[in-house]
Amino acid sequence: MSEDAYALQSIWMSETMRSEDDVRTAAGRVLDKDRAERRRERRMRGAGAAALVALVPVLIWAAAYGVSPLVRIAYALMAVGCVAGVSAEWLYLAWSRRALPGPDDTRSQLQRTAFMLESQMWLSRTAPLWSSPVFIGVTLICLWLYRERTLASALTVGVLGLAAWIGTGVGAVLATAELGRRRRRLDEALADLRG
Amino acid sequence: MHQGHAERFVQLMAEFERPMRRLCAAYADRAMDREDLFQEIFLAVWRALPAFRGDASTRTWLYRIAHNVALTWQARHRRRDAQETALSEHTGPQGVIDLRRLELKRAVARMPPGDRTLVLLWLEGLSAAEIEDVTGIRAATVAVRLSRIRKALQPDEVSHE
Repeated sequence: MSEDAYALQSIWMSETMRSEDDVRTAAGRVLDKDRAERRRERRMRGAGAAALVALVPVLIWAAAYGVSPLVRIAYALMAVGCVAGVSAEWLYLAWSRRALPGPDDTRSQLQRTAFMLESQMWLSRTAPLWSSPVFIGVTLICLWLYRERTLASALTVGVLGLAAWIGTGVGAVLATAELGRRRRRLDEALADLRG
Repeated sequence: MHQGHAERFVQLMAEFERPMRRLCAAYADRAMDREDLFQEIFLAVWRALPAFRGDASTRTWLYRIAHNVALTWQARHRRRDAQETALSEHTGPQGVIDLRRLELKRAVARMPPGDRTLVLLWLEGLSAAEIEDVTGIRAATVAVRLSRIRKALQPDEVSHE
């Protein structure tokens, strides 16, 4: 290696930037961040579990004892959609964790992270599909309200349901676009690393 | 978490703080982003530490994690304009701005991600075999690419780019 090459290394190594905190404080901050992230993940899983425990039995009960076949089908669809939604959220969290950088070599790591992002994109892209039983159920409830109660109540529930479905679709499109952008940048880095 | 892991973690942080801060400076221009990336790297180190059996050298193990985190971090964040970095951040202990170091840092920051990864590892003193261990790119290929990158990084090229 030439002298110039050694000179570059010594210029680089002469950088002495340090944190103003001592190492224990910096380490403490990292551990705090770790605890906060674990808490957030537990909360998200807990919310999913709470929805399963609190909502699904009620929906199943309503599907069994609803006032009419239309209402029973509507609640059954909502129960299916609710289980699908919570399962999808857990799957998304599991893939997010598997995409986290670890001690593999950089090429393998980038490949794995890109694959996980692709899986998350698929889940996100299909969100309007796997959440559709809930919204079809809401539509059936609207139909029953229109037939048995009033047009106004049917419209109110229908508009709320439609807004939620559109919101889910828009959220899914935005999330897919962001995941796609990250995936493309990882692919570029991987291609560049391979030379 | 085991107390021994916590102690080992603090030791690793003390030992590798400076190289990791240099690495963060090559990936992030703003002080806040550098600190964020630094914490993300050591967060990943903390999480990987219980599974570390010492089969690889600690240095290559840590550099693998650091570069994996930095590349995925960069995929999440758009790079800000390098001009945002205040010159005062490059001022040396005597109050003198080291222009050679500043130019080198800017040249490294402008590189495509693959070249930047290789050159950062080389600048930190890793051999081609160690770089292969970190990146998964064959040592012979690493040597050829580094030779090309070094040529582009010679002081004259750096200062006149």
